[in-house]
Amino acid sequence: MSSSTRIAITGLGPISSMGIGKDNLWKNLVSGKANVKKEEAFIDGELWDSFFLHKVEGFNVHKFGIDEDKLSDIKAWKEGEEITDLNYLLAAVKLALDDAKLDYSKNDNGLGLVLAHENISLMPFGLKVSNLAYEALIGKSKDQLSKKDFFNSLYKSFLKSGYDIQSFSDLYHVARVFNIHNYSLFLNNACASGLYAYEAAAEIIKSGQAKAVVVAASDNPEIYKYLWFRDLGIYSKGGKVKPFCKDSDGLVFGDGGAGVVLEDLASAKKRKAPIYAEYLGGGFDLEGWKITVPQIGNDSYQKAINKAFKNSKTKKTDIDLLVPHGVGSQPIDYYEAKAITDTFGNNPKKPLISAFKPYVGHNLGSSALLESLIMLLSLNNDTVLPALNYENPDPKFNIGLNKEKRQVKLKTAMKICCAFAGFNAAAVFRKIP
Amino acid sequence: MPQNLEQEVKELIAGVIGREPEELKLETNFWKDLGVDSIKAIEITVAIERKFKVSVRDEEIPKITTVGQAVAVIKGALEKKAK
Repeated sequence: MSSSTRIAITGLGPISSMGIGKDNLWKNLVSGKANVKKEEAFIDGELWDSFFLHKVEGFNVHKFGIDEDKLSDIKAWKEGEEITDLNYLLAAVKLALDDAKLDYSKNDNGLGLVLAHENISLMPFGLKVSNLAYEALIGKSKDQLSKKDFFNSLYKSFLKSGYDIQSFSDLYHVARVFNIHNYSLFLNNACASGLYAYEAAAEIIKSGQAKAVVVAASDNPEIYKYLWFRDLGIYSKGGKVKPFCKDSDGLVFGDGGAGVVLEDLASAKKRKAPIYAEYLGGGFDLEGWKITVPQIGNDSYQKAINKAFKNSKTKKTDIDLLVPHGVGSQPIDYYEAKAITDTFGNNPKKPLISAFKPYVGHNLGSSALLESLIMLLSLNNDTVLPALNYENPDPKFNIGLNKEKRQVKLKTAMKICCAFAGFNAAAVFRKIP
Repeated sequence: MPQNLEQEVKELIAGVIGREPEELKLETNFWKDLGVDSIKAIEITVAIERKFKVSVRDEEIPKITTVGQAVAVIKGALEKKAK
């Protein structure tokens, strides 16, 4: 392999509120109805809080044909706990590998692995610490302080350090299940993780460390994460993500994950793999101003997009479809719209722009991967999905999202993302004729 | 600490939001009274950091809703820097 090696996308494995598996997901996306429900969190039977969520339903990791002995080993390591985020990763990898028709049954399968997630073990860790602390500190005086009030006060002091937790053990678990012994990597670039993961996977293949790399990301948001986003003032009270709208009031979490297989294009063609697109390259820029707020007026996002053009050897007129982060938060949408208009001009007719969080919610560390997967399905179906909830576009953004389902010839698409901490990223994909 | 911090902050904020400094009193809530939104609030923060060479923490940004609060945040940041 060398720097001239071309990288193809050959397997897709989505786990989302709109469907599990690419066919199911696409069928439901085209029907145009999002699956948002109110999630209630209880402690000792007492309602803690409730929040809107694009929830994955009917998920059972044991239904994917994954090696049960290894699943059992994972459960033993996790002391009997079922870690939903980890199960999403396992299922996403399985779906993606099966879709790519890659055999991973032997140890010398030549596969690599990249996982992405923002805080994979935060929830079980937080709940365990809270339970133990409550029993130890409150003990017999439970009538004086309820578990709910105790948990509520603890999460605020606990959460920031909790978000810094990193995990290598889950990389081990997923790799072991699929007999992956080549180069592996767990990365965390917040919401932009998926796009960073594409680039990492491409580099792994180009360096000859693996012939194919599975990239998987997941997120199973629960109460702690909701409380943090609520306190930041960016969680939608109405339960609808409305990107670039006058009445947008924040994000709604998505649930699930995604798996995508990248491999050397020449070998993919040789083994007659399904080829969804070629990954042409990405651009990345770290603004590094604040963690939770983008710096309005800074051009870091524009730089990431321009680097993507350079690295993918494309130009703005090549892009047929653009999928923004589109979180439905005024300052973030403003920051993003400015980067789009600086690049493509005000109210550009090309590229067509569609946002997918109104369908599947904000899947945090998995969002960029899941949305790029949907973008690849759009590319392969020559279909631009309408942006749901786009009823009150705000003219100050100077961009228009696609409002109706369109059948158009699509060749090249770009996914962009402006994540917490200023991880700005863009990735370009092209359909192989 | 700048001698005329309050006036400097008024001029800075007025410049960002396109108003006259005289329109801003110490207690004027520029979110409620002058239509400042979360986008302008970030622009105000950027301007404050550039002018006074301080760093405003993420969680302080939504708290800056009056000239008085902006002055307090800047004072706090300058004092922290001087230590």
